[in-house]
Amino acid sequence: MEQNIIETDILIIGGGTAGCLAAVEVRERFPNLSVTIMEKAHIDRSGCLAGGMNAINAYLNPGETPESFVKYVRFDSCGLIREDLVLSMSKLFEYCVKKVEKWGLPILCDEKGNYIPRGRWNIKINGESLKPIIAKAAKNAGTKVLNWVVATNYLVVDGKVGGAVGVSIRNGNLFIVKAKATIIATGGAAGIYKPNNAHDAQHKTWYCPYNTGAGFAMGIRAGAEMTSFEMRYIGLRVKDTIAPTGTIALGVGAPQINSKGEKFMATKYAHIGGDGAPTPYRSHGPIQEIKEGRGPVYLDTRHITSQQARDLKSAFLDMYPSMVLYWAANEIDPSKEPVEVQTTEPYIVGGHTQSGYWIDVNRKTTLDGLYAAGDVSGGAPYKFVSGCWAEGVIAAMNAGEYAQKNEFMEIPADIIEEEQNRVFAPLLSFTNKKDGIRPYDMEVRLQKIMEEYAGGAATFYEVSEERLHVAKRRLSTLPDQFKHLIAEELHELMKAHEVIDRVYVAQTLVEHMLYRKETRWPGYCTRTDYTERDDEQWLKFVNSRRDVVTGNIEVFTRPYEQIVPGDRYKPR
Amino acid sequence: MPVVVHADKCNTCHGSHNPPCVRMCPGDLLMKDPKTGKILMRDPAECWDCLPCVKVCPQEAIEFRLSYQLGFHTARLLPHIHDTRDFITWELIDTEGAIDNFTIRTKVLPVELDEKIEGVAAVDFSI
Ligand SMILES: Cc1cc2nc3c(=O)[nH]c(=O)nc-3n(C[C@H](O)[C@H](O)[C@H](O)COP(=O)(O)OP(=O)(O)OC[C@H]3O[C@@H](n4cnc5c(N)ncnc54)[C@H](O)[C@@H]3O)c2cc1C
Ligand code: SF4
Ligand code: SF4
Repeated sequence: MEQNIIETDILIIGGGTAGCLAAVEVRERFPNLSVTIMEKAHIDRSGCLAGGMNAINAYLNPGETPESFVKYVRFDSCGLIREDLVLSMSKLFEYCVKKVEKWGLPILCDEKGNYIPRGRWNIKINGESLKPIIAKAAKNAGTKVLNWVVATNYLVVDGKVGGAVGVSIRNGNLFIVKAKATIIATGGAAGIYKPNNAHDAQHKTWYCPYNTGAGFAMGIRAGAEMTSFEMRYIGLRVKDTIAPTGTIALGVGAPQINSKGEKFMATKYAHIGGDGAPTPYRSHGPIQEIKEGRGPVYLDTRHITSQQARDLKSAFLDMYPSMVLYWAANEIDPSKEPVEVQTTEPYIVGGHTQSGYWIDVNRKTTLDGLYAAGDVSGGAPYKFVSGCWAEGVIAAMNAGEYAQKNEFMEIPADIIEEEQNRVFAPLLSFTNKKDGIRPYDMEVRLQKIMEEYAGGAATFYEVSEERLHVAKRRLSTLPDQFKHLIAEELHELMKAHEVIDRVYVAQTLVEHMLYRKETRWPGYCTRTDYTERDDEQWLKFVNSRRDVVTGNIEVFTRPYEQIVPGDRYKPR
Repeated sequence: MPVVVHADKCNTCHGSHNPPCVRMCPGDLLMKDPKTGKILMRDPAECWDCLPCVKVCPQEAIEFRLSYQLGFHTARLLPHIHDTRDFITWELIDTEGAIDNFTIRTKVLPVELDEKIEGVAAVDFSI
């Protein structure tokens, strides 16, 4: 093992959707600044975009404005969002989309050359190669890329971030990257709960299984303030493949029906928009149908023509090819039978819901020198691809300013030594004693606790004070067990750190779910002991900070501010 | 069994140390067999079924298979990138062997058969 010490003006951790756009933006606006991306995989095909995309889900189609977008997102998130953040990102959708189109992304247009809308906020793309396209732009901009370097912790002195440490899973070197400003863009967290599928399909999750909450965990360990972890994301997805349903529901207008053929969203949730109800309700509705014995639940596609069914398959091939193979392998024709749906295992994803770093409008976190963008940053749901791009751009502009004014920090040698010992401990334990806990075993342990006591699918995602306290107690033992982790080689070493990170995320999540004593987002976090929404007490953000010395997690609230006038529970 | 590597079709990308299939996997799941230089799947249970490895292999040596718990044998889905790189044709074969082709616009970027890794000697990353 050797140490590679690198100095860069700006360090971007995670070369995904937000990270690549941030890199280009820094280089364009501040050509004098050097940029380094630290990426656990290879930026050509890493993170959520690896398989491709078929739509840009956050875009202002004709007639829409940043304000109308905020109104919709506020409605969709049950009346509570950071309006300043959602406003500022939506103002940049156009800029980002045009930029990526110029780099070569095919966007579907009509005869007049206008983008083809899919609903109010979506446009269709042929995005099979979206990731290599933005990665190439990042490389062309002169970014230094460290592929296969897994970030493990920030370099922090007196609450100020001066870069990060990572481990190369190709040669086991420790990378110590000192930076004047750091942007965290590692995406959200999958694998906290028991997966829907077992055995050789356990990673057939909707969210990218390699986004394991590293950015959250690094922030939690460094004492950064986090927000809204209790707004878990539990998506309505196609049964078994866990493929996104927007392609079907929006693409061909398919309502949800239960096993009796009843359009339950249209009847039971008419008052909040029926099949257009806020996203959490579109998961809550079917969960209730199944719980009460009226499952399976379907998206009714029987009205579509065989040409529409073909178009649907083409759309999935751009984003989720296994869906098409699944239909062929099960002799399912979506124009003849409805498509069965289910809800996913819960994820922590700041780009769909709003869990993540508490940031200001410049995307600065509560730690000096650290900016956050994409699924790792909180307060702004409904980001999707384009919102992550926008946040990458905003973070880049402000991190660039900061880097211009600040110097490299002195990093005491003991900080590096301590991290080096922590990082390599599982490898050493394997060599020295061979007996211990495999990362996979700890992962299953964690997922079992979360599934059974912290609102997993088996309990219809419901939580209560008592059960959450059991989860909290069981989780509290896990950090003491980290010393027993063993890793035989570098790939397994990465897995060891993935599960360590997930434990930190899970602990914070449980604290948040315990704190919010209301049910604001049915389906995402249904409390059996506080079943109603309570605007009087809980129209505010639940935030947390872990004490770096004691390890205690302090939970508190921050006020909500309405900027865009109007009824918070109306989509327009 | 999410992806299978057909060893007879893999030509090791002419002895590449860091071939495209290995580079494109977001989960670091494909590795070179130190003895044969051919490609091995570390652990099928870790695969996301996202298919960059399948699409990027110039020999079409990697095939996607749905885990058996999710679908019946032997439906297949084979992507073929056009030489112009502007289109991709997905060949879908159902359990009865009937073939359906879907041709979709894309923009496939050219991919090098080998690539250096910053700070790492070739011998270190060839396994
Ligand atoms: C299957 C799927 C389909 C989707 N479809 C659409 C769609 O059609 N339209 C749409 O608008 N949105 C869609 N989304 C949402 C959208 O893709 C995400 O919100 C967005 O890509 C997230 O961007 P990000 O930069 O935060 O994360 P990512 O793009 O995932 O980037 C995170 C990066 O960080 C890296 N990383 C993680 N941990 C570490 C570590 N420890 N060290 C170093 N690097 C690390 C990862 O490898 C990755 O490269 C979809 C998401 C999924 C999962
Ligand atoms: S890309 Fe294909 S041919 Fe090249 S090494 Fe990988 S499997 Fe073999
Ligand atoms: S399908 Fe995706 S996760 Fe599986 S081996 Fe290929 S690139 Fe890796």
